[in-house]
Amino acid sequence: MLPGYDLLGVKSLNEGLVVIVRSIIGFFSLLIFTRIIGKEQISQLTFFDYVLGITIGSIAATASTDLSSRAWPHWVSLLTWAALGYIMEVITLKWRSAAKYFEGQPAIIIYNGKILEKTLKNERYRISDILSLLRNQGIFDINQVNFAIIESNGRLSVMKKPEYQPLTPKDMNIQVQDNGLNTILIYDGILIENNLNELKKDRKWLMEQLNKQGVYDISEVFLAYVAPSGSFYIDKYSDHVDCPDEFV
Amino acid sequence: MKKFLNAALPVFILIIFVVVMQSGSFLKRPIGDEEDISRSIFALMEEVQNENWDGAQKRAEKLNETWAKIVKRIQFSSERDEIHSFYAALARLNGAIMAEDKSAALMELNEAYNHYNRLAQ
Repeated sequence: MLPGYDLLGVKSLNEGLVVIVRSIIGFFSLLIFTRIIGKEQISQLTFFDYVLGITIGSIAATASTDLSSRAWPHWVSLLTWAALGYIMEVITLKWRSAAKYFEGQPAIIIYNGKILEKTLKNERYRISDILSLLRNQGIFDINQVNFAIIESNGRLSVMKKPEYQPLTPKDMNIQVQDNGLNTILIYDGILIENNLNELKKDRKWLMEQLNKQGVYDISEVFLAYVAPSGSFYIDKYSDHVDCPDEFV
Repeated sequence: MKKFLNAALPVFILIIFVVVMQSGSFLKRPIGDEEDISRSIFALMEEVQNENWDGAQKRAEKLNETWAKIVKRIQFSSERDEIHSFYAALARLNGAIMAEDKSAALMELNEAYNHYNRLAQ
């Protein structure tokens, strides 16, 4: 072998290890930055937020895998984009006019069953898009629409004319029970003591309920909760339910 | 305390990331006398200038060994291409020393020195 040849080549540079380290940096940086930027849901994102998310993700991916450049400039770019996103968020929260300018504002597209063509054109929507969005909400006749509004996130909010609104118990003067939340007592085989205390019940009461359904150990239970009506629901790990294999 | 930890932990993690990514510029510096790449290159240049090829051969082997140690430390904060270019310069230097080609060896040493300086910058 040539002198020193075994020390040459690329063996000493462990590309896999470098990618792992850089991926860890990218992953946790992305996690921290996105937590700082905000908690908006995907459905609330504007088109710009969406593009911003893709760009930041793309920079993080490049930082992880592009070994032809150092991780540092990519990370600085990631930090800059995240900081700009955060600044934009603060500005749009503080100044309503800035929010209108940057994020756009809702636009009425159908009023009293009539399509507002000028707004439709300004918002760059086709009527077929609007009809499709209406159908998604179960509306097949524009005559039923009192207001249809294109929100800044591109979704369509619709208010039907009063005669097409669904009947509610209030319309019929029917008294209905208040629907509260279920109180989960056992989750994945583990007793949630706080919820049991909130119900002012004790472990003895819980075991009695379980015994009634043939359960003698909490670890046998996958899920157990008390509904607002007071009914007790239990699901065991071993339910042995005969479920049909095929559905038509 | 919990609120402080919630804020301090991400900051601490980000600082660690910055240190890792910027560590190349100080990790490429010699920890002991034997790990000084710059000094090894200058010493090798002197051997080549004097056409002492046996001495140059030994110093080149030593330089290869030193580089193999250093590259493990700086690989997380350096460009792969710059590292590969340094490897290539060392390989050509070995060839030049074997051929006892003074001008080629000096060219490769200068190139290697240039790549070394640009590493993790």
